This record gives sequence, C-alpha cells and structure tokens, in this order.
Amino acid sequence: MINRRKFLVKSATALAITFVVPSIISNKAHAKKPLAEKVSDKQSWGIHIDTSKCIDGCTACVDACNEENGLTGFGRPETDSQWIRKVTVKSNTTDKITTMPLMCQHCENPPCCDVCPTGASFKRIDGIVMVNQHTCIGCRYCMMACPFKARSFVHETLTQQNTNAPRGKGCVESCNLCVNRIDHGSETTACEDACNNLGHSAITFGDLNDKNSKISLAMNSNNPRRLRNDLNLDQKVFYSNI
Amino acid sequence: MAGILGVEAHDGNPHVSPGKSKADSQEACVEPTDLMRKEHYMFLLHQRDETVIDGVRTKQHSLANCVDCHVSYDNQGKAIPINAEGQFCQECHVKTATNITCFSCHAAEPRYPKHKNITSSSVKEINELANNITYDK
Amino acid sequence: MNYTLEKLKTCRYLYWGTFLFLGFLVLLGLASSAYMEHEGHYVTGMNNQIVWGLPHIFAVTLIVIASGVLNIASMSSAFDKKLYKPLAPLSALFAIAFLVSGLIILVLDLGRPDRLIVAMTTYNFKSIFAWNIFLYSGFFVILSIYIWTMLDFNVSKFSSVVGKLAFGWRIILTTGTGSIFGFLVAREAYSTAVLAPLFIIMSLLYGTAVFYLLLRIISKMQNITIPSEITVNIRKLIIIFLLANIYFLILYHITNLYISKQIAIEKFILLDGGGYTTMFWLGQVGFGLLIPLFFELTNKDNRDFPLTLTSIMVIVGGFFAVAVIIIGGQAFPLNIFPDHTIIESSFFDNNIHGYTPSIYEFGLGIGGTSLALIIILILITNLKFIPAKK
Repeated sequence: MINRRKFLVKSATALAITFVVPSIISNKAHAKKPLAEKVSDKQSWGIHIDTSKCIDGCTACVDACNEENGLTGFGRPETDSQWIRKVTVKSNTTDKITTMPLMCQHCENPPCCDVCPTGASFKRIDGIVMVNQHTCIGCRYCMMACPFKARSFVHETLTQQNTNAPRGKGCVESCNLCVNRIDHGSETTACEDACNNLGHSAITFGDLNDKNSKISLAMNSNNPRRLRNDLNLDQKVFYSNI
Repeated sequence: MAGILGVEAHDGNPHVSPGKSKADSQEACVEPTDLMRKEHYMFLLHQRDETVIDGVRTKQHSLANCVDCHVSYDNQGKAIPINAEGQFCQECHVKTATNITCFSCHAAEPRYPKHKNITSSSVKEINELANNITYDK
Repeated sequence: MNYTLEKLKTCRYLYWGTFLFLGFLVLLGLASSAYMEHEGHYVTGMNNQIVWGLPHIFAVTLIVIASGVLNIASMSSAFDKKLYKPLAPLSALFAIAFLVSGLIILVLDLGRPDRLIVAMTTYNFKSIFAWNIFLYSGFFVILSIYIWTMLDFNVSKFSSVVGKLAFGWRIILTTGTGSIFGFLVAREAYSTAVLAPLFIIMSLLYGTAVFYLLLRIISKMQNITIPSEITVNIRKLIIIFLLANIYFLILYHITNLYISKQIAIEKFILLDGGGYTTMFWLGQVGFGLLIPLFFELTNKDNRDFPLTLTSIMVIVGGFFAVAVIIIGGQAFPLNIFPDHTIIESSFFDNNIHGYTPSIYEFGLGIGGTSLALIIILILITNLKFIPAKK
C-alpha cells in the first residue's frame, strides 16, 4: 500500500520524467505545446509532397500509416479503410508519368465539414480536418462531398485498435495528420518518417505558418501546387513536379 | 468511513476482478473514489471533447490512462481487456445494466505492445511499469 | 358536393391478410437492418466507392413521393379546387406515411443509428442535411396539424391556412432533398442547381401517380367508384407533369453538356455507362416517361386501366430515375487529376464503380415501403379518411 502523498509524489515524478525531461534533453529549438494547452491557429499544419522523389511501387508511407493507425484490413479492398494510397497518373499532354501518395488534403474550406449534419467532420483550429467519431452518425455524406475520395467508412466490427487511433464500425475516418503524435510534440507524421527512413524524403510535414519550418523551405524551392485548384478549397497538402 | 470511501469498490466488498492491476495498490484514483464512482463518465465526456476538438492531451482524465492503470494482468502476465467479462469496466456496467460504448472504438488493453505481455504479474512490476510509461513515441 | 368521411369497411379477411403480409415485410426490413448494423456494412453492396446505395434510392424515392402525394390536398387548400376537398385528408395521410417510412430507411442505414439522438440535437447549420432534418420534422408536424384541422370540425376554419403552409413547406422540402445532391461540388453529376426543380417536378409526377394508385386500391376495397372528374383531372395532371419532367430532364442534361468539364459524366450516363445507361434510357426515360406519356395521350376517354398502368410505370421509372442520379453519379470516378489519366491506384480511382445490392438492402427498402402502406392501412381503418356520398 502506498499512501496518497507517495502516490502524488510518484505521479509528479512520473510526469516530470515523462514530459519535462525529454523537452530538456531534446535539442528541438521550438517550444513544444504543453499537453494541457489547447491547440491554436499559430500553427497551420500541412504536407508537401515532392513527386519527383516518390518511387513507383514503393508503399512505405501507406504501410506506415496502416501500422500507426492500426488499419488492418479484412482482405476486402472495396470496403477496407485506406487513409493514404498510392496513385500513378499520366499526363494527357506530355505522357509524363507521376506517382504519389494521396490522402486527405486538409482543405481550408473543406466540403466534408460543410455537409456534415452533426458537425462531426470538422476542421481543427490548426488546420487539421478530422472526424469527431463521438458524434459521427455514419451517414457518409462527407464521402459524397469529398473531391479526393479521401475518406473511408468502417464497414465491419474492429477489435485490437491502437490506443492512439481509436476507430470503430459505423463511423467515417480519414487521415488526421497523425494528430495524436503531433499533439504530443512529434514533428513528423508516420508517413513522413517512413519515407525519410528509406532515404526518399518525398513527404515533408510541418507548420505552414512558420517561414523557417522544413515544409516552408521545401515549398519555396519546389513550385508546389494544389490538386483541383479550380474548386478553391485551399488545401494544406501540396504537390510538386506532377 | 474509510471502508466505504476507501479502497474497496462495491460498497464495502473488495474489488474481485480476476488478475491484478496497478490500480489495486493505489489509495485513490485521479479524483476521490466516491466521485469517480458516480461521475467518471462526466470526466471522460468532458475530456473527450477537449481532446478531440482542442487537442488537449492531459493524462488525468484520459481514457487511455484509465486503461493503463486499471487493466488487470493474469497469472502469465498477460493483460486482460478491461471490458472482458468480470473486468474493471465491464463488471460494474453489467451490474448497472449500462452499455459501455467506449471500447467499440477505443483500445481496451494497455497502450504499448510491451505492456500487453509482461513477464510476471507481481504488483511491484506492474507498478513500475505503469509509473514509467512515457508518452513520447 | 355533399360528402362525408368514413372508415375503411373492407372484409375482415382482406384487412387482416393485407395487414399480416405488410407486417411480415416490415419485420423482414427490420431484421435486414439489424443484420446490417450488427455485421457492419460490408455485408451490403455498398462500399467506399458507392457509399449510398439501394436504401438511399428507396428513401429518396419515398420522400419525393411524400411531398408529391400532397398535391391533391394542396390543390384543395392552396388553389381552392373544391373537387379535391374530400380527398385532401387522405392525401395528407399518405404524405405522412411516406415521409416517415423514407426517413426510417435513411436512419436504419446509418452507420450508427443508435446515435439518432446526436443527429437530432447536434446541428451544423452549414449542412443542407441538417436543414433537411428540420424540414422533415417540420413537415411532419404541419401535416399532423393539417389532418387534424380537416378531420375535426371545431378547428376546420384553420384548415385552409395550414394547407397553404403545408404547400409552401413541401416545395422547400423537395428543394432541400434535391439540394442534398445539388450542393456536391465534388461530383460532376450533381453540382448543379437544376437538380432542385428537377426533384420538385419528379415529386409532383410520382406523387400524383402514387395517389391515384392507392386511391384505386382503396376504392376497390371500399367498393366505391372514383368520380370521373377526378380521373379526368388526374390524367391531365399526369400528362402535364410528364411533359414538365421531360423538359427539366433535358434542361439538366443540356446544362451539363454545355459545361465542358461535365461532358465526361454526360457521355457516361447517356452513352457508354453500360447498366447505368440502360437504366437511364430504358428505365427512367422509356419506361418512366415516354411510354406513360404515349399511354395517356392516347387515353382520350379517361379509362381507368391505362391510367393505372401509367401510374405503375411512372413509379417504377421514378425508382430508376433516382437510381441513375444516386448510383450513376457515384459510379463515375472522381476527376482528381484534370488533364491526367490515373493509370494505377489501390483505391479504384480509375475504375467505373460497380454496385450489386445485397438482399439486406433490398429487404430494408421493401420493409420501409411496406411500413408506409401499413401506416395508411391502420389509420384509414381506424379513423375516418375515405370520402363517401351522403
């Protein structure tokens, strides 16, 4: 038996070890958001994809996403969830072939959020478009509205979910920019890590508001563009060299 | 008085879930026990909106932390899902005929794979394990 | 015209036979839905490509019909046509029954129907879907009051006002239903405001057809004759609505053909969409519009049989029309990369999506439709809805 005082001391120590020590040890320059603080519009998270570095046939980002979010399929590709997928396109004018990952484009004006009857599909203040699965009723109107087919509906009962990625039957889900990692101070998404680990570095995640962030630097030198710019959705996912 | 408000759940009957959990050895939960008994879902409800909508990731009222601390380990040191029959969440909810929907989406087992199977079920090891949880990937 | 309202006085065996048959289908529908919810939607034909399927075709058709069957009452109250006054309560009753059943199908197909309370309490007012929840529940309330004012002599002086309100509401309601699709910029088949008037005109046509059909059945059961003025008028209405429907359908497709980025989807629906093209030309246009139009134009002496046949064909054609809009619009792959051709994707980005409905979706649809009919049966048996000469 330990008494309350000991418990509190222990808990405080654990908290200190957990949160304070890493932030002292790590050499990350920018301040990590304290866990108790709400996210703000100081950050605007985005992803830049340099398609010239993306390798045909490589699915490291997809595998990493599946691993991170526990997206184990049921061998039924038409109903299994895909948060990120590889797409290969050919230009109709130049015949140039480009391969790239495609996921939720995290629009500034997301059609999925406009149509959601309960507001479960929402844009977080730092720009992440995600589904509040506590209020999602599974009507799938957002899937009808998304121009990028970024969303999946959970078609069957799930078990053994990952703690950091709760998901269940009857709700819609999609890429949330590894929101749990980001909130805990990570500077990379799972897909970016996987891509970097293979040395491809086609995916760059970061804060679009910070002019010195790695994504801002990548964007400066690459002439990035958005998909379906004609829809004026102002996505936060950019592609270069398509 | 202590007997009613103290360690034992179920109005004086000791906690009888099979297996041992870290919570078994704690004197109090994250809030006073009687408050937790009646209002735990309110804390969770409040926290869930703060977490999902505002990105607040504090641990005090986090469901993942409930699971980490209250999950029981069997004699082989294997974590038993917290919503399994007779386990911490399930037992009360069956008695009060209240459906738990949390675990249709949320993990009912500890956070990290290495915590799902530990070498033995000694209380000491469970305690150390739970206290040394780090939340960085 | 002197008339009184009566209960359904059909033979007991016919009543119970119909009741049990419809009740069985309703239970079958409930069982289908329970199975789909328990297993998850993978047991249906719907998937991540075709996200709305057969239940939505049934539901949208029923909701469109719900607004349409109110025609008869609207003509009595909003346009003061005395001829239809005796039929107005029946018309409002049909509207409620079809609305309720359409909505129940929609709800039972949700991924989380247990969260209906969330849908009823948490609104996102930017969503046309959320507005529709208000429009539907408001319509239900207005119709209930309308029926009350028509059946209770003490409040009958309000019936004309409420009737006009119901008329206005149903126009907005069908606009709302059409806009569910019309506001989807992502999909070429949908992003046009013409869908809203198209839905209104569809509702007028299908609703009138359904009303006539049900009136025929009830008059057979009750052993009364439908006055010939009614048949004459309904035939005229159906001809006008058929023509208007053809006009708006042409307008919709011409509009799309003028917008060069929509030409691909038009080509798909009109020419090379396989099953969808067949559904469009044979089901929606041929079976649902042209052949009925031919029947009615040649039916100069207003015979009942061609009108009945026409009504059935119009309803079947209407079902196909909604199917072409809902499934056809989703089957055509999204244009994610303009000026590019997708040559490889794990998520079927480059395929025309196929859809094979499962027996469960069909069961849910049929169950829902039977629910509408059983509501009507129970209410006309227990309350005085059917007009009779004094």
